[in-house]
Parts: sequence; structure tokens; C-alpha cells
Amino acid sequence: MDVRAQISMVFHLDKCIGCHTCSVACKNVWTDRPGAEYMWWNNVETKPGTGYPTHWENQEKFNGGWVRVRDGELKLRCQNRADAFLKLFYNPNQPTLDDYYEPWTYKYEDLFHAPAGDDQPTAIPVSQITGEPMEIKAGPNWDDDLSGSPIYAENDLNLDKLTAEERAQLFEVERLTMFYLPRICNHCANPTCVAACPSGAIYKRGEDGIVLINQDKCRGWRACIAACPYKKIYYNWKTGKSEKCILCYPRLETGQAPSCFHSCVGRIRYLGVLLYDAERLVEAMSVPDAALVESQRSLILDPNDPQVIAGARANGVSEEYLDSARNSPVWKYVMQWKLALPLHIEYRTMPMLFYVPPLLPVIGRKTNQTYRHARGGFFAGLAEARLPIKYLASLFSAGNVEVVEAVLKKMIAVRHYKRAQEVKDLEPAAVERLMREAGTTPAEAEEIYALTSLPTAYERFVIPALHREESVEGVLNPEVCKGCSGFGHAPIPGRGA
Amino acid sequence: MIDSFLLVGLPYLAITVCVVGTFWRWKTQAFTWSSLSSQFLEARQLRWGSMPWHLGILLVLLGHLVALALPRVWGSLMTYPTLLVITETVGLGAGAMALVGIVVLAFRRLTSGRVQAVTTTMDLVVLALLFFQSLLGVLTALLHRWGAAWSTATVVPYFWSILLLRPDPSLVADLPPIVKAHLVGAWLVLLAVPFSRLVHVLALPLSYLWRAPQIVIWSGSRRARMQAKDLAVAESRREFLKGAAGVAVAGTLLSAGVLDKLVRFFQGPKISGEMETVLLAKRLRHLQMTAEEQALQLERQKNDRILIGRLSELSATKGKYFIDFHMAPALAFLGANGLPLLISAKCTHLGCTVGGDVDAQGQILCPCHISYFKITTGEPNPGAPAKTPLPHLEWAVVDAAGKTLAQRTAGGAIEGSLAGVPPEACQVYVCRPSPEGAS
Repeated sequence: MDVRAQISMVFHLDKCIGCHTCSVACKNVWTDRPGAEYMWWNNVETKPGTGYPTHWENQEKFNGGWVRVRDGELKLRCQNRADAFLKLFYNPNQPTLDDYYEPWTYKYEDLFHAPAGDDQPTAIPVSQITGEPMEIKAGPNWDDDLSGSPIYAENDLNLDKLTAEERAQLFEVERLTMFYLPRICNHCANPTCVAACPSGAIYKRGEDGIVLINQDKCRGWRACIAACPYKKIYYNWKTGKSEKCILCYPRLETGQAPSCFHSCVGRIRYLGVLLYDAERLVEAMSVPDAALVESQRSLILDPNDPQVIAGARANGVSEEYLDSARNSPVWKYVMQWKLALPLHIEYRTMPMLFYVPPLLPVIGRKTNQTYRHARGGFFAGLAEARLPIKYLASLFSAGNVEVVEAVLKKMIAVRHYKRAQEVKDLEPAAVERLMREAGTTPAEAEEIYALTSLPTAYERFVIPALHREESVEGVLNPEVCKGCSGFGHAPIPGRGA
Repeated sequence: MIDSFLLVGLPYLAITVCVVGTFWRWKTQAFTWSSLSSQFLEARQLRWGSMPWHLGILLVLLGHLVALALPRVWGSLMTYPTLLVITETVGLGAGAMALVGIVVLAFRRLTSGRVQAVTTTMDLVVLALLFFQSLLGVLTALLHRWGAAWSTATVVPYFWSILLLRPDPSLVADLPPIVKAHLVGAWLVLLAVPFSRLVHVLALPLSYLWRAPQIVIWSGSRRARMQAKDLAVAESRREFLKGAAGVAVAGTLLSAGVLDKLVRFFQGPKISGEMETVLLAKRLRHLQMTAEEQALQLERQKNDRILIGRLSELSATKGKYFIDFHMAPALAFLGANGLPLLISAKCTHLGCTVGGDVDAQGQILCPCHISYFKITTGEPNPGAPAKTPLPHLEWAVVDAAGKTLAQRTAGGAIEGSLAGVPPEACQVYVCRPSPEGAS
């Protein structure tokens, strides 16, 4: 057993209101630079929709993620060790600027300096790359809230497996069924970007699992961009280096939640430590699709198990991390309650960002031009959910409907339980039956309710001390630490000649 | 003057600047070290430019490098006409491919607005350099065919002369201007390396072929501990390696020495022709001397008597040395009776030659271990190392007519006399000892 700690995340999609505050917070802190204008380390997509970059889920085109060769063996979909060299010159899997959008600004000064005339002066859009006037054809969140549109929503690849009837379900009520999917780097436990980087510039931090790119070692070979199935590595066209979400590690190291977490209006984001067994990583990620969610859960270790604690200590996991792992909201959502699921686990990178799928209950439907309450009362049965389970399963469980069903059942049960408690308009016996079916208890329901609806910031973000000060403590031999600490020069990052 | 700058000064300038500048950039400007790919901004044209350019130029460079690095192998391979034709064809093909690629890339860079947004002056310089260099290369291949062969006697030695600090521009001075321009272009490209995106060639990520798929870096206490462990291992390993290296070096030197001696022993001495003639001459002289000796011996075997000299030449106190029939030294004296007295001069102790001077006691001395022998009897003095007496030898005295006047026979008896005959007329001979030998 090789116990490692990972700072993991849960996004509760039922609470996301799609306000993009997270994206803007991130942009203002990290990507407000030349070359990075188009990057959204944090973005929020409308689902169903095509996402950013457009059709990022299309691995036929971008060839991201791992492919299962057989049990216990994975290979990169985008390259092997030899043809990676051919792809240095031209990488057919790399998305171009047009797959994202061309960043632009407006010529605001025209508003002030335009000569007097008969018409109002306008600020025309100009490209932030060429500086030339441009026609805006796409932008970040271009399909925001356009779930009903045939251009965007209909092209969502996750709809491909749905029957016509199930598709119709999506558009049942006023042609508007959608939810928001905020995405950041998943800080995968088995990242393809690391495995694909020819220069070996990308690495996973041992103590917290954050995936980072060494900007001095990156040579701009762009293999990581193709390899990441979530397209969460971006190419800085100005510096010629790849960049990605750093989980605001400078903030984490000072005990603050990352910008996007901190600024989240809906308070949908949770952050905490998970312990996992790195030894069985590849083995667990090379099982058939339907078993992947369960397989990932089998890797996540119980922080209360004395054997796990001993293994963690032996591996250098600090006591603060173990404490944090025991109080981790992520542990509760993912393992205790089994409510949070990974996004597109079929890419087999073992993402460490989990989503509580949205519960969009049908409260009414139109029949013969008459609008009625749905059968089964306020929270209707799963079969009538406006979001087909198959669609959710294609996002969150590699197509395994049962996994998603179990999650939604439990969420419905908790709602019925609380409604019976607060509004008292439900049969206690019926609620009890529902809870039994969903496999939950009143105590658990209370806990779920408390952490979902009433959590404080300290309950949402359980951040261990990262002990970065120890990294300069390794002064065992001056030879080893020479140049690692103290004062050095920090040149301003600039494009090479 | 301009030639010596372009073919000698420029190369050294380029090599120095390239090495020093690249190291400086690697140490201090790591962030700027990138392929600076613009595929993100424009992919379609890049594919048709970058692929042929890179593949073509890599093949061409490989050919150039092999020819420069292994001139003898290359030169001998290029003597096969088929191989030469294949090399030239492949080289020209690859060169043309690279040329097409660089043209497409140049066109793309000059026409695409997005790509222009990331174009620096240095990019244009590099593009121009590489375009002209490829063009000159292709022209050389077309106009001055079989460069793969003729360069082995001109460009390759020139390159090595530069590298070995014995610059010899005369090797390439008479080449056509296109080829010379191509050479100068090569040095210019080298000169541009540290200041341009060309450094990305040195970033070829070969380690990707064998590195582990996942990279985990620890920075906390675990790293410190792991470092301590690694350091301890590394240090003990280092000590061991140092010792092992010492033993290995000593062992190698020792065995090299032994082996050297062994090999030399079995090879035999190595001598120059001059030395050999001297040695042969010496040997010839030895052989001649041996032949003379053999002839002398043969003569002795033929004759029954060997002449020693006239009787008048003999003295009672100073012996006359001669060689007897056993090829041993012997002394001839004039006896008290006026007759010759012949005695072996080979000491009976260990075979030294006994001295010829007779002392007051009538003895001769063997100087090796001090044995005195009485010449009248041949007996050694008592207590001398020699225990047996020196034997007397048989002799004969012959007159001028050849008539034997007197002789000493094997028994020691003397027959005849010399009465009345002057000693000047008497020849003294030593006689072949009788088969039973000793007297």
C-alpha cells in the first residue's frame, strides 16, 4: 500500500447558479496576461452544450486520456513513446485557437477621440492577438444558457446515446432543461498530461497531489494539451509554454481556499484531503467502463483505518493532513455518502474533482395544453426526471446508470425526509420506505442536509497546513539544497527570441 | 583576407559564441527555452511546412554529421557507386523536402496575421538563414554532383582542421562559390543558435523514451527524509565507487603493463632496418670468425703436427702461448736440456688460462685461484685449489729439410738429439696426442 494524500474537491451541481464568479475570480488572479487571454483555468459550461473548447469531450478528435489495453495496462490515446517525437513538429491532436475563441477587446478610445459627426461613435472589437478589427464569432461561454438551441445543446456528445424519447424529455418544459458544470483541472491521480510531457516538465506534488508545470523545463512541445482529455492545459501563445490551473497553491499554502472556491456565490465547492492507494492506480483504472466509479472508490482509503494511518505516516503524510482527511467534506461526499461522482471517469485519469449530480425533479408537465403536477407529488420519481439518467451517467459514471440512480435516490430521500420534518405534508411511513430504498438513515440525512445547505467556510474548506517551510529545511547537506532557497533572481517571464 | 575571415575567423567566433552563449542562456534564461510553436494560432499550413522541413532537415543533418564524424567509414562507403548514387538521391530528396518546407513556413509567417503577432526579428533572421542555407545545399547537390564523395577530401578535413585547432582554409579555398557560401552559412546558423529559437534543437527530449510515466515531486518533510536516505545511500555508494575506481585504475594499469610485456615478448623485438643491418653485419662477422675457427680446427684435425715456432724463439722463463689439439691454450718453454718443454695452460682446477711467466721456483701461476704449477712436472703446489698436474704435451723438432731431429713420445721418452744443429734452424711442432690421450 502506497498511501498518498490528495487535496480533492467536490462541486455540488444542484447549488450552482451559473454566475461565473469563479471564472472571473480566477481570470483576474491568474490569466489576465498577454498570451493567456483566452485561457479559462476555471470555466462554467451549460449542459447540455458543447463546452469549452468546443467539443472537448470528443476524444475521437482530440485523443485525450488513457485507453485500456487489458486489465492492468493502460496506454495513452494520443501517442506512444516513439511517435511522440514525430508529433513535436506537428501535433494533429492539438486544438487550435479556433476551437476556443479568439480573444478580443474594444477600441474604447474611439469613443473619446472620434471626430464630431452625425452618428454616435462606436467601439469596434479588435483581436487581442493581432490587434486587427475582427468579427466576433465565438467567445467564452458562447453557449451559456443556450441549452435549447439546436446549434449548441443538440451537438452535445453525451446526448448521442439517448433515444428520441429521452431527448424529448430534455425539452419537455419550455424547452429549457439545463444545469451548469463548472470545470477546473481535476488534479488527476493518474494524469495523462504528466505521462505525455516529452520534457518531463509536468509533475504531481507529492504531499498534496497538485499537478503543476515547471515553466523553466517546459519546451512547448504541446503533447500535454492533446493528452489531457478535459482540455485543462492551455498553450500560452506568447511565451510558448503550457499553463494550467495551479489550484491556487500559493493561497492553499497560506491556509486560504483557492480563488474560485473562495468566491463561489452558491457555495457549491468543497475542498479537503483524500487518502488513496497509489500502488494500485493503473490496475484500478484499467477495469471495464461500468466498473470504473466503484474501482476508483476502492482506491480511496479510510482515514480512520489504523492500517491506513500507519501507511500514511510511513509515507511522510503529516499529522495535519491526516486530521484534515478525517474531517474532509470530500471524504463524506465521495465515500461516506457516495453522492459525488467523477467527471468522465472513462478517460481513466482518475480525476480527483467530484460532482454531486444535479437533481432536476419534474414538478409539473404539460398535457393537452394543460399544466399539471406530475404524478408522485412534488418530488417525482426518477423515471420522470427532466434530465435523463442516461445523460447524467454518460457524464458522471461512464454510462453506468445504476451508480447515478443510487445517488439521485438518496438525494430525493433526503429531500423527502426534510420536507416531512419541516412541512409535515408527507406520510412518515412513505418517507421511511423511500429512505430504506435509498439506503440512508435519518442521521445520515441530517448530516447530508447540514453539509449541503448550512455549511460554514471552515466546513467546506478543510485545508491542512502544507508545511512549505519544511522544503527549505532539508539542509542536510548544503550540496543538495544549494540554489533551492534564499535569494535568487526572478526574471520577468518573457517570450524567447 | 575575406576568405580567411569567413573560413577561419568566423568558424571560431561561431563555435565560441554558440557554446558560451547557449550555456549562458541555459543557465540564466531557462524560461525562454521553448520550441515557440505557433501551431495553436495556425495549424493547417504549419502541417505542410513543419513536417517536411523537420523531417527533411533531420535526414540531411544526419548525413552531414555522419560524414563529418566518421570520415573514413563514410569515404570508403562512398567508393561504391551504387551507394553514392543512393546517398546523393536521398540527400537531394530530403534537401528539397526541407526547402519546400521552409518556403511554406516562410510564406505562412509572412502572410498569417496571427503568426505575425508572435514573430520576432530573430525569427525572420533565422528563417532567412535557413532558407538560404537549404537553397545553397540543394544547389550544391544539383550543380556540383557527388558531394558525398568529394567532400571527404575537402570539407571534412577542413572541418576537422578547424576542430583540432589547426585551421587549414586552403582545403576548401578552391571550391566553387556556392559551396563556400554553404559553408559560411553553416557557421552563421551556428552563430545564431544562442540568440534564437534554434536552441529548441538542443531540447530534443530523448529521455522521454525511457522515463517513468508519472512524475511525483515531494517538497515537505518527506523530501527531506528521502533526501537524507538517498544522500546516505549516495554517499556510501560514492565512497565505494571511489575505492572501486582506485582499485580498477590500479588493476588496469598493472594488467596493461603485464599484458604489454607479454605481447611484446611474444611479438619479439621490434628493430629498425638500420639497426637490423648493423646486427646482421655483426652476426656475419661472428659467423666469419666461427668459420675461421672451424677451418683452423679442421686443419688441426688433418695434420698430425702443428707448428709452434722456431726453437730459438722459446725461452726458459717466458712461455709462448699456442693452441693445442684440444683447442685449449698451452705454453711452450725451452727446457733445461735445450729441448722444448710443452705444457697445457688450461688450469686443472676450473679451466682458467695459466700465466706464461716462470717464477724463481720454476712455477707458473693460474691467476684465478692462485695455483702454482711446476713446469718441469706440471704438479700444483701443495694446498693449491688445483689438485691434478698440468699435462705435458708431445712435441717434435724438425730441421729445415723436414727431417725429425728429436721428439717426445706419448710415454714421455725423448728420442734423438739436437746436437750440432743451430736452434734457428729447428722448428718446434706440437704432436697429435696418441689415442689413449694423456701423457
